[in-house]
Amino acid sequence: MSIIQVKNLSFAYTLQSPILKDVSFDVKAGTFFAIAGPNGAGKTTLLNLLCGLLRPQAGSITIDTTRIESYSVRKLAQKVAVVRQEFVPVFDFTVAEVVSMARTPYLGTFGFDGKIDKEAVNEALEATDTAQFAMRPMKNLSGGERQRVFIARALAQNTTIMLLDEPTSFLDLKHQVHIYDLLKAAQLEKGRTIVAITHDINLAAQYCDQILLLTGSPQDAFRRKPPMQGPENGTQNRPTYLIGEAKDIFSPAQIEEVFGVKVFAGKIGKENFFIPLGKFAKDSGQASIS
Amino acid sequence: MAQLLTARSLAIRVLLCLAVLAVVMGLCTLVGSQKVSLEKVFAGPGRSPGENVDYEILIGIRLPRVVLAALVGAALASSGVVLQAILRNPLADPYILGISSGAGLGVITAVLTGISWTFWGGSALSAFAFAGAIITVWLVWLIGRAAGKSQVTSLLLAGVVINAFFSAIIMFLTSIARSDQVYSTIFWLMGNITEKDISALGVSAGCILAGIIGLFSVSYRLNILSLGEQEAKSLGVDTAKTRVTAFALAAFITATAVSLSGLVGFVGLVVPHGVRLVAGPDHRQLLPISAIIGGAFLVATDTLARIIVAPAQLPVGVITAIAGGPFFLVLLARYSRKISWLK
Repeated sequence: MSIIQVKNLSFAYTLQSPILKDVSFDVKAGTFFAIAGPNGAGKTTLLNLLCGLLRPQAGSITIDTTRIESYSVRKLAQKVAVVRQEFVPVFDFTVAEVVSMARTPYLGTFGFDGKIDKEAVNEALEATDTAQFAMRPMKNLSGGERQRVFIARALAQNTTIMLLDEPTSFLDLKHQVHIYDLLKAAQLEKGRTIVAITHDINLAAQYCDQILLLTGSPQDAFRRKPPMQGPENGTQNRPTYLIGEAKDIFSPAQIEEVFGVKVFAGKIGKENFFIPLGKFAKDSGQASIS
Repeated sequence: MAQLLTARSLAIRVLLCLAVLAVVMGLCTLVGSQKVSLEKVFAGPGRSPGENVDYEILIGIRLPRVVLAALVGAALASSGVVLQAILRNPLADPYILGISSGAGLGVITAVLTGISWTFWGGSALSAFAFAGAIITVWLVWLIGRAAGKSQVTSLLLAGVVINAFFSAIIMFLTSIARSDQVYSTIFWLMGNITEKDISALGVSAGCILAGIIGLFSVSYRLNILSLGEQEAKSLGVDTAKTRVTAFALAAFITATAVSLSGLVGFVGLVVPHGVRLVAGPDHRQLLPISAIIGGAFLVATDTLARIIVAPAQLPVGVITAIAGGPFFLVLLARYSRKISWLK
């Protein structure tokens, strides 16, 4: 069953050419869905559309069989949790306080948490391994710890859908993998639908069931026949997005054309992996499309 | 298990703070230029005025004034808490949105035009201060909204600009006014708590307490709002509605306080910060405790203002600013460091 349905979605910021044009895709319930693509391709814009922060100029978004604009802010927050890039709150909230804010869409007038709320918060703290520093202020945490707190908050919000904007962007290797394991666990054990923007195509290939690759603005070089679905851009004959499983989407040629960088490609099991090689990289001469 | 604020622990803390407030108010009622014998006070009012002077001083003069100070302090402190949350700026205070200059302009208009009718037991000065404050806040809100999408920054800017503009007009008017008119205006601008008619006190007390209770009902949403617009929306908070409600209530209780006491500075800035340092930033707790501590703080400083140069009196704004100024500088240093970390 599709939990998110996007149909013919178009969006442009005022006085700019459209950043998303006629995008359609479905996200099946309980899957891990990645949104990839170069900077400026509209990934965060798409995420903001999916959480109702922006309204599309054309097309529709349906969340759990209901059009997104029919939800109240509160009802939508009971369906969709969002993790943005980690930040430090202005005021010095503790980890537990930040995580308990997840329960806002369920609270009554004066905002005191009941038993269910406390259980959800504690469970999320345990699941993300943040319970040990639950009483510490947010600003005393490292970037990786803070990101885990925000994921804990999204878990405690107890929504069917979790949207994440580059959850691993500032983290070292261990923490990147840790975050992906956490998300995968939420998907497999709790049946959550995870939609994550990512720059890490290798991790995405390893963890995600479906990939949406936004191919970026028409100015970029991309003159191939569209391999998958997606409308063609009239003048340059290129799709604005590709969708499918990692092994179909991430071919070396596709990566080189979409991201405009030479890559070394290898294989782990069925999945391709890629190492970008710049002009001055030690092994750039050996880089080839295998 | 993570420790989270419960209604029960909050109630206990609020009651404790109320007890502190009651003690401070009690002690401050007893202090003054005139020695008062409690024994005589308990004897009750005399049959004719002037028979029991001790009773009249304590119950008729000092108690209303102490209550007034507590109300004004509570209003300013809770308004400070709320505006700091809405503007996501720890250095915001109740006057940043033009309330002070608007009220000041109202007062100087009343003084210069010589209007002197009374209204619910309040003077024309109070009524004009109130009207000036509300109109200015409304103006700032309109300009802020018209100025752009990032409403928080444009609100702050609109407030600062309107404040500067109105302050210039106030200075212009004071410099062309007669000296006896200027005197009462200046005293008012410095913040001045004086004895008030009991019915004016009753009406204002009702307004301020209702406002604070209203703010308490949005207080947990202020936690979320302080994270920013996008975060708040994805946590299910109707940001526009919450912001308008909180802003209107804060403006209303500030205007009421200003109409009672003139411009008492620094309470709205210093008290929320002090309480936040001790009790943490959770607004469900920060708001009621700041209100109570703000009340106690202003009762104490007003008592100092009454006795330091007794039998003369200082404007209470002078004491709060002398105590608050250095505190503000420390805060400024602290927060600028934090901001530079964030780039």
